Amino acid sequence: MNGYDGTHATYIPTEGRGDRGHNAMAMIELQDLEVAYGDLKALDGVSCAIEGGAVGLLGPNGAGKSTLMKTLLGFNRAGRGTARLFGLDMPKHALEVRQQLGYMPEQEATSPKVSAVSFLTYVGRLFGMSRVDAMERTHEVLNYVGLGENRYRKMETYSTGMLQRVKLGQALVHDPKLLLLDEPTNGLDPDGRLEMLALIRQVAAGRGVTVLLSSHLLPDVQQVCERVLIINRGRIVRDGSIAELTAAREGQYEVRVRDNPGPFLAGIEAAGCTWRDEQNGSLVITTSDGEDPRFLFEIARAKGTHIRHFLPRRGSLAEAFLKALED
Amino acid sequence: MPIYRRTYRNYDGDPRRHFRWAIIVEQEIRVLLKSKVFLLFLSGTLIHFLLRLLQVVAFDFIMQDPNSPLRPFLVSLTAVVVNDETFFDFIRIQGPLVFVCLLFAGSGMICNDLRNHLTEIYFSKPLTWRDYALGKLMTLVFIGLVFTAVPAIFLTLLHNLMMPGLETIQATWWWPFSILGFSLIMVVPGALAVLASSSLLRSENYAGIMVFMLLLADSAMSGILAETLRRPGFLVLNYGIALNRVGEELFGITFHIVDVPWGQAAGLIAAVSALSLVILAQRVRRAEVPA
Repeated sequence: MNGYDGTHATYIPTEGRGDRGHNAMAMIELQDLEVAYGDLKALDGVSCAIEGGAVGLLGPNGAGKSTLMKTLLGFNRAGRGTARLFGLDMPKHALEVRQQLGYMPEQEATSPKVSAVSFLTYVGRLFGMSRVDAMERTHEVLNYVGLGENRYRKMETYSTGMLQRVKLGQALVHDPKLLLLDEPTNGLDPDGRLEMLALIRQVAAGRGVTVLLSSHLLPDVQQVCERVLIINRGRIVRDGSIAELTAAREGQYEVRVRDNPGPFLAGIEAAGCTWRDEQNGSLVITTSDGEDPRFLFEIARAKGTHIRHFLPRRGSLAEAFLKALED
Repeated sequence: MPIYRRTYRNYDGDPRRHFRWAIIVEQEIRVLLKSKVFLLFLSGTLIHFLLRLLQVVAFDFIMQDPNSPLRPFLVSLTAVVVNDETFFDFIRIQGPLVFVCLLFAGSGMICNDLRNHLTEIYFSKPLTWRDYALGKLMTLVFIGLVFTAVPAIFLTLLHNLMMPGLETIQATWWWPFSILGFSLIMVVPGALAVLASSSLLRSENYAGIMVFMLLLADSAMSGILAETLRRPGFLVLNYGIALNRVGEELFGITFHIVDVPWGQAAGLIAAVSALSLVILAQRVRRAEVPA
């Protein structure tokens, strides 16, 4: 797509800015951050740095995810520590930071008596756009989030899914470099959820926007993000890539065998291995650490059966999440 | 169209950084003008304005015609003579309509945003709580002035244009300032009170009812105190009386509807404004900075 002619504002081609989020400076830098509501510490010594990409913020209800989001927006004052976005201290430089940041709140936010077009134009103008620019971008973004012709209807007639799209649209209307999404799939039906996740993935991967996605739905985070921060009781208890957290477990294998597995299982028990039935036709077999798994095939052959499926077992995000909470 | 083929252009414009409150004013007025009830209020004001227009035009024409048989009759009719009292009365009579209009336009302005979680979205943009509160306040002030100062100043200018010579201008140059002053004293404290109420409550109906009930209670209380203690000075606590008394002082009117000290009346209006401003500022600031 070629650029806009610049009558009202300069647009540059999308393709030219695909990597804009991935520079040397960290988008978000938190250092020993503490935020309290009265005596309750909502964030307690949070430290991390996010350079770019899509990052999931996982945690149980009340863990401090939304508080962290609001602190990044400059809504909360830190009792201790620092929060820097784009190299600027928050909340001191909140206005400069908010120029480059989009936020989709968790709660239903709607202006019932106006249409989505009117609402997004207004939001664009609050960002500082001229009326014409705001109107143009509103239509582009509403097309992007898939609101179609419904954009002209009053928002009081919208379904939850449509309102979620409007919320995403208002976060994108000023073309932010950083997008904070708080439970973006709340209240969506399965199709709507998949489409919302696809949109977020496209924003992060296709447009180079850094995304911080807060959710308690692990599959949502797994679908969109490359990295995960697990937060519990106001502290970051795990920080790593999804690949790391779901890495293959040494000595654990996912196995399916033909026919009756009884003799095979007896054989592997005799060889000192343990197993459990995953209830989906698969067995998880745990061998001694470092042992070559080829002996499992020999046992199968000896017991007159065949191994039809054999994979080193990967950990699930759910397991990593639960383990992080336990730790 | 599949999602992977959808896109939007990057924005690299130079966003406006000042007077963001003006955008709120524009949006609120845009929404209000779509309301039939608000348009009904506007037309109600128009009727009063047209009657006053008729009065000014008729008076000026007749006064310029020395042969008009109506001239002596008109001069004796104080209600028809165009003088400073005409404009004081115009604004005073507009008062209840302005009050109802401020209630209609302002009682939902903040509470609806809070209830619908819109403040989170607005404050995630480069908008401060000061911009937000000022935008809402200026909307109501603008509406209030449209009902009071704007038509009154127009009538003053028309009166001056229709009268020959410079005598009228020399005698009436201060009218627009009095009109603006009285209008602002009527509109600004009212707007602040309505917005403070809106920021305190979750429903626009309750916010409107609260301001209305406070005004009724204030009126009843001042009357009861003045009657039971036989001290008419307590009538200065009646907000409506205080407002009119300050207006009379601004227009230099010597005949007072209720004779109470204008300084005390101004003090009451200032106290109401200050209290409302403190409530409004605290509530809106809390919406931006909760912890």
